[in-house]
Amino acid sequence: MASSTAEVHSRMTADQRDAYLKGLVQGAKAAVPKALALETVRSRAEALLNEHAFPSARDEDWRFTDLADLLAHNFVAAGEATVGEADVADLRLPETAGAQVVVVNGRISAERSQFQNLPDGVIVGSLQSHLDLQIVERLAQASGHHEVFTALNSVGFQDAVVVWLPRNTVVETPLQIIYLSQPEETPLLVQPRCLVVAETGSALTLIEDFGGLSAAPHFTNAVTELWLDANAQLTHSRIQREGAGTFHIGKTAVTQARDSQYIGTAVDFGARLARHNWEIYQTGEQTTTKIYGLGAIAANQHIDTHSLVALSHPHGVVEQQHKVIVDDHAHSVFNGRMAVAQKAQLTNASQLNRNLLLSDKARVDTKPQLEIVADNVKCAHGATVSQLQADEIFYLQSRGISAPQAQRLLIYAFAMEMLETISVETLRSRLASTISKWA
Amino acid sequence: MSASVQSLVSQPYKYGFTTNIEVDTIPRGLSEDVVRMISAKKNEPEFMLEFRLRAYRKWLTMAEPAWPNVKYPPIDYQNIVYYSAPKTQAKKLGSLDEVDPTMLETFEKLGIPLSEQKRLANVAVDAIFDSVSIATTFKEKLAESGVIFCSISEALQEHPDLVEKYLGTVVPIGDNYFAALNSAVFSDGSFVYIPKDTQCPMDLSTYFRINNGESGQFERTLIVAESGSSVTYLEGCTAPMYDSNQLHAAIVELVAMDNASINYSTVQNWFAGDENGKGGIYNFVTKRGLCAGKNSKISWTQVETGSAITWKYPSCVLVGDNSVGEFYSVALTNNHQQADTGTKMVHVGKNTRSTIISKGISAAKSKNSYRGLVKMGPKAEGARNYSQCDSMLIGDTSSANTFPYIQVQNSTAQVEHEASTSKIGEDQLFYFAQRGISPEDAVSMIISGFCRDVFNKLPMEFAAEADKLLALKLENTVG
Repeated sequence: MASSTAEVHSRMTADQRDAYLKGLVQGAKAAVPKALALETVRSRAEALLNEHAFPSARDEDWRFTDLADLLAHNFVAAGEATVGEADVADLRLPETAGAQVVVVNGRISAERSQFQNLPDGVIVGSLQSHLDLQIVERLAQASGHHEVFTALNSVGFQDAVVVWLPRNTVVETPLQIIYLSQPEETPLLVQPRCLVVAETGSALTLIEDFGGLSAAPHFTNAVTELWLDANAQLTHSRIQREGAGTFHIGKTAVTQARDSQYIGTAVDFGARLARHNWEIYQTGEQTTTKIYGLGAIAANQHIDTHSLVALSHPHGVVEQQHKVIVDDHAHSVFNGRMAVAQKAQLTNASQLNRNLLLSDKARVDTKPQLEIVADNVKCAHGATVSQLQADEIFYLQSRGISAPQAQRLLIYAFAMEMLETISVETLRSRLASTISKWA
Repeated sequence: MSASVQSLVSQPYKYGFTTNIEVDTIPRGLSEDVVRMISAKKNEPEFMLEFRLRAYRKWLTMAEPAWPNVKYPPIDYQNIVYYSAPKTQAKKLGSLDEVDPTMLETFEKLGIPLSEQKRLANVAVDAIFDSVSIATTFKEKLAESGVIFCSISEALQEHPDLVEKYLGTVVPIGDNYFAALNSAVFSDGSFVYIPKDTQCPMDLSTYFRINNGESGQFERTLIVAESGSSVTYLEGCTAPMYDSNQLHAAIVELVAMDNASINYSTVQNWFAGDENGKGGIYNFVTKRGLCAGKNSKISWTQVETGSAITWKYPSCVLVGDNSVGEFYSVALTNNHQQADTGTKMVHVGKNTRSTIISKGISAAKSKNSYRGLVKMGPKAEGARNYSQCDSMLIGDTSSANTFPYIQVQNSTAQVEHEASTSKIGEDQLFYFAQRGISPEDAVSMIISGFCRDVFNKLPMEFAAEADKLLALKLENTVG
C-alpha cells in the first residue's frame, strides 16, 4: 500500500478509529456460528470494547507501533474455508504425526487434522463438540483479557481449539496446531482461538504454527490461553511465519499455578506487522517460567513483542531472553515488563534483550521494565543494541574465514541460542535453515 | 531483620525552620496580568515580557503530564503565590553589608556563609531566597577572568543580549507543562557565562531556599560555556517544614561549545514531608544540557534525597561530534516520598558517548522509579552508551521501578543497559556485627559503598556532605 494512504490514516481522529473498531466488532459478531453464542463470554467482551478505544500512538503500549496501515484496510470477518493437503504438507512435522490440529480461517478442519496419537482421556478438538461447563468456565477467564484486540477475538471467534489434559497425564507426542488463512478477494479478519488446560501433574509439548498461504493482506487476531494447574509442565513453541502482507496481532496468556513449569519460545519471522502480547500470571508459589523470543526481520517488516511476567507469590523463578535481528528498513519493538508484587519474596528473575542491527535504516525501540515492590528478590535485566562486533569478525577472518561468511556464522550463532530451546528436532532445523538462508 | 529495619524512625529534617522577615508578595493566582506584573517588578527588557507571555499562552493549551509513576492530588495553580521577595531587597544591593542580617543568619544556619572573608572553600555562591537572589559572592574576583556569575535578573539588566541569545534555546518554552509554566513566571536564578578558553577559577554554586509557605519557587539557571572553557557548578536546596505542599518548577539550561566542559552537581534536600506523607515540596524540574560543539562534555551528578515528589530528568543532547554526556545519580526515597527520575541521552552527532549510572534506594513506603531514554539518531555513527541502574530496597513496602527506553536508528551505534535490584542482606549485617560494627554503621557503610560510583563524581566537599546526608536520612531505618 502506498505510504501516503498510511499517512492519511495515521491522522484518523479518535472518533474515526472508534467507528472503525465498531465496524470490526459488528462484522465479527455477525459471523459467529449460532452454536457458539456463549452469551456471557461475548457480552462481557463487548462491554469491554465499548469502554476501550482503538489504540493509537498516544497509548504507551502502542507508542512505537503504528496501526495506520491496518486502519487503511476494511477487513471482513472470514467465513468457512478449506485447504488442500498440499498446503498443509510442508508444515506437518514428523514428530507430531497423529497429533496435529489444522485450523483454517479460525475454524478447525476435521478433514486435515489428526488425533490418533493422543492418549485416552486427553481432549483435543473443536470447542463446538466440547461445550461442557468445565471448559466454558475457563474460556476468556485468563487475566489479560482487558485489552481491545483480545476482546475483539472474544466477541468474534468462530471456533476454538480445546486441549484438556486430565490429572497426571503426560502426552509424549508433541501436539502441533497449524493455523492457516485462505485468502479471498477482500482482506479477511481471521480470529483463531486456543484454550489449553493442563490439570495437576500433567505435561505437554505444544507447537503453535502460524503459516501464511499468500502475501495478500489479511488480519490475524489470535488468542491463546494456557492454564497450568499445580505441577503441570508445558513446553510451548509459537512460530509466526505469516505472509508478507499479513497483520498479525497475537495474545498468549499463561496462568501458572503452584510448582508449574512453563517454557515458551516465540519465533517471529513473518508478517508485515506483528505484535505479540505475551503475558504470564502467577497464581501460586514456586513457579518456573522460561521465555525465549527470536525475531528476524527485513524489508519493511515491523515486529513488536510486549511481554509481561506478573509475579504475586514467593519463590518464582523467571528467565527471559529476547533476541532480534533487524535488517533493511525493518523496525523491532520490545517491551519486557516484570512486575514483582510485595508477596513475591525470594523471586529470582533475569531478563536479557539483545538486538542486532544490520542496516542503517533499521530501527530498534526497546524498554526492559522492572517494577519491584518485594525487597528480598534478585532481579536483573539487560538490553543491548549493536551491530556485529568488528573484532569477532576479525577473529574469524584471521582463521581464514571470509568476512561475509564470518558475518553469516555470527548471525546464525546469535539466532541459534534461541532456537536451541525448541525441543522438536525437525522444527528446530527447519527454522535454522530459514535463518541461514536469511543470513 | 526487616521488621526492626523499619521500626526505627528517621532523624528530623534539620533545615525545617522558617525565617520571619517582611516580604513583598503579589496576590495568589496566575493570569496574563500576573505575568506582566512579575516582568514589570523586575524591570525586564521588552523581549523578556514577550517570552513570558508566549510561554503563558502555550501553557494554557497544555495538560499536566499523567505518565509519571507518582500520585498526588491535583495542583490548584490559582492558589499559588507566583512572586515573593524579602522586602528589604527592593533593589539589588551594592555590598553584602546591606543584606538583611536575618537573612544572612538564615544562610549561616544552613551552613552557607555568605560573607566572603569567612568563606574557607574556594567556591562562589549565589544565594536565592524565595523568588530573588540575595547575594552573589566573589563576583569581582570572577570578573577578573571574564567570568560572568550573577542572578538572572541582574543578567537581564546588564547582559540582555547574552540572555536573549541563549534563553529557551535548550528547553523551548513549550517543552513540557512545567517548563512552560516556569518560562512564564520564573522569578530568578543564576546566570553563568564562561568566555572562550577560560577555566573558571573557582567552583560556582547556587543555594536555593524556599521560605514562604504559599509561594511556589520557579527559578531558572542558564550556563553558557564558550569554546575551550570549563566550569564546575553546584546546586543545593532546602525548605522549611510546612503542612502544605509547595510547588517548585525549575529549569536549568546548559550550553557547551567546542571543547567546553560543564560539570553540574546537585544535592537536593527540599523538605520531603513528614513520616505520614504530609507536606513537602513537589519538585518538577526540567534540566537539559546541549553539547553544541565538537568534543564538548556535560556531566550531571545528582543526589536526590528530599522532596515529596521528584520529577526530574537531567538530559544531554549530544549534537557536536565526539561530545560526551554523563549522568550520575543517587536517588533516595523514604517514608511517603515518590521519585520518578532519570535522564535522557539524545545522540545526534558522530562518535558521541554517554554514560548513565543511577542508584536508587527506597525505604519505608516510598516509590522510586528510574526512567531513562537513550536515543541514537540516524546520523549518530559510532555512538556509544553504557547504562547501569541499580536499585536497593529497604523494607518490603517500598517499590523500585525501572523504565529504560532505548531507541536506536543507527547500526554502528552501541547501547548497553544493565539493571539490578537488591537489598541489604542479613548475612552482610551479620558479617559487620561479627567485626563489632553496629547495624546502623553497617548500613551506612553498605549504602555508601553502593553509591560510591556516583559520590566519586561529586566535588570533594559535596561528596562528604552527600555521604553524611544519606546516613542521616536513613538513620534508624535499619537495625
